[in-house]
Amino acid sequence: MITKEDIENIALLSKLFVPEEELDALREDMQGIIDFADTINNADIEGVEFDNIAGLSNQFREDVVVESLSVEEILKNAPDQAQDHFLVRKRA
Amino acid sequence: MAKISQLHKLLTEKEISSRELTEKYIEAIERDNKELGAYVHLSFDEALSAADAVDAKIASGEEIHPLAGIPMTLKDNMSTKGIETTCCSKILSGYKPIYDATVWTSLKEKGAVLLGKTNMDEFAMGSSCETSCYGAAKNPRNTKFVAGGSSGGGASAVGGNLAVYALGSDTGGSIRQPASFCGIVGLKPTYGAVSRFGLVAYASSLDQIGPMTTSVEDAALVFDNIAGFDKMDSTSNPDFKADTFKNLNNDISGKTIGVAKEYLEGLRPEVLKATEEALRTFESLGAKIVYFDMPALKFALPVYYILACAEASSNLGRYDGIRYGYKAEVYESVHDMVCKTRSEGFGDEVKRRILLGTYVLSAGYYDAYYKKAQNLRGAIVAAFNKAFECCDVMLAPVAPHTAFELGKAISDPIETYQSDICTVPVNIAGLPAISLPCGVAEDGMPIGMQLIGNKFTESTILNFAYKFEQATNLMKSADWGVKL
Repeated sequence: MITKEDIENIALLSKLFVPEEELDALREDMQGIIDFADTINNADIEGVEFDNIAGLSNQFREDVVVESLSVEEILKNAPDQAQDHFLVRKRA
Repeated sequence: MAKISQLHKLLTEKEISSRELTEKYIEAIERDNKELGAYVHLSFDEALSAADAVDAKIASGEEIHPLAGIPMTLKDNMSTKGIETTCCSKILSGYKPIYDATVWTSLKEKGAVLLGKTNMDEFAMGSSCETSCYGAAKNPRNTKFVAGGSSGGGASAVGGNLAVYALGSDTGGSIRQPASFCGIVGLKPTYGAVSRFGLVAYASSLDQIGPMTTSVEDAALVFDNIAGFDKMDSTSNPDFKADTFKNLNNDISGKTIGVAKEYLEGLRPEVLKATEEALRTFESLGAKIVYFDMPALKFALPVYYILACAEASSNLGRYDGIRYGYKAEVYESVHDMVCKTRSEGFGDEVKRRILLGTYVLSAGYYDAYYKKAQNLRGAIVAAFNKAFECCDVMLAPVAPHTAFELGKAISDPIETYQSDICTVPVNIAGLPAISLPCGVAEDGMPIGMQLIGNKFTESTILNFAYKFEQATNLMKSADWGVKL
């Protein structure tokens, strides 16, 4: 049984705010989805160790310097920037 | 609905210029997109200059690539330098990538003409295109119906003759299901066949880019030109070379089609009937049908949702309002800024999946959900391996039902997830599958089937699909867009 406190905790980990008035409906939705996910715990088939779907491992490349993007380009989409850096927080 | 090869012929024989062809599509988009909602960003200036460059080549007697000068579109989750790429989410509004996705680099080099970016469920999370922040794409067969999702805009554009072909992405059916709903062809390639570099990540171990077209021939041609190793994607396969186009018309008599009985459960009667008729058609082409059980398939849907949401919760952690996209305006601390940015920027379905993903990865639940789902993924992979010991391809429906009316899907999340039952197993196992029309429902909406192959056997499934298409001729043009 998933509680409202669980939802608040997951929301905090996910960095999402859930308004108080939406908590009950979201809890109900999540309970439904988790009950559905729980069906795998009644699986009557053997699980198999699984590595990765590409079937590849350790894709190495030569350690050579290649052209990269400029600071100006990297900052092009930043909502706020200052002195060639991303600005995380504007001063109040 | 002209094929790419026919348009190529018109271009090289100077019956039409690429500019004229592109202008026809631009005019049609300006007229019909208001109703269809297929496109969310337009790039007409870029399209016309690409068309002019191709025309100049033709004028100078230079040979042009089969895809040169052909107007097309990309799903809005593929990075296009300088052209808005938003995944139809408020959180990426205004974002203009500073580099191109590898698929777009490949096509651009060949002279492709990009008309714009197409509509999708927000971050590809949905099966009806209704979670898009721009509103849903409509089905060109009947605009009261959804186009499907998540690549609904691509299906609507191609089915509605507003693009010759589209690239979509398929994480749990997002190419095949909308293609089926709109009565076109959609190919989900083998995991690792097409580079994912520049595709905005939803669930990285499941995502794959593929073509949406009006014929199997076009799907093969486009696939051959986007597939191949890319050093920028460490999961792309270094050995695979796509050569499907040349192998379309091989005889399939004596070949075996496998049908897993689990795929035939819970279907609408008309979908079951069309699937059975498709099997009869293949028998008439000389193929043998074998039936078997795949009990592992009944866990495919919860396994898919656990893994996809877990990966999404990690992938979408990057949207913090600092480097790109939307940023909350009023906040008190860094934590407050990030939480507000994400809460205001993401839609409800995306938030739901991030929360579920965070839950199944959190301490105390990881083993019960994520680890268990990974092991069942291994069991599903093993079940497909076993199936392909006794057949060349598998045949299955694409969805238990045909396109539904707009607004009829969103209310119950579980019910919505159930409709992905036929498509998700292929992504879990990393296999290729093609969706193509196999009938029409009583309400006039198309019914689709999928042909599933073993890893890197795109050539085989395209060959089977081509044979079926030639034998049935079920592709119908919708009453929208460019008439050629």
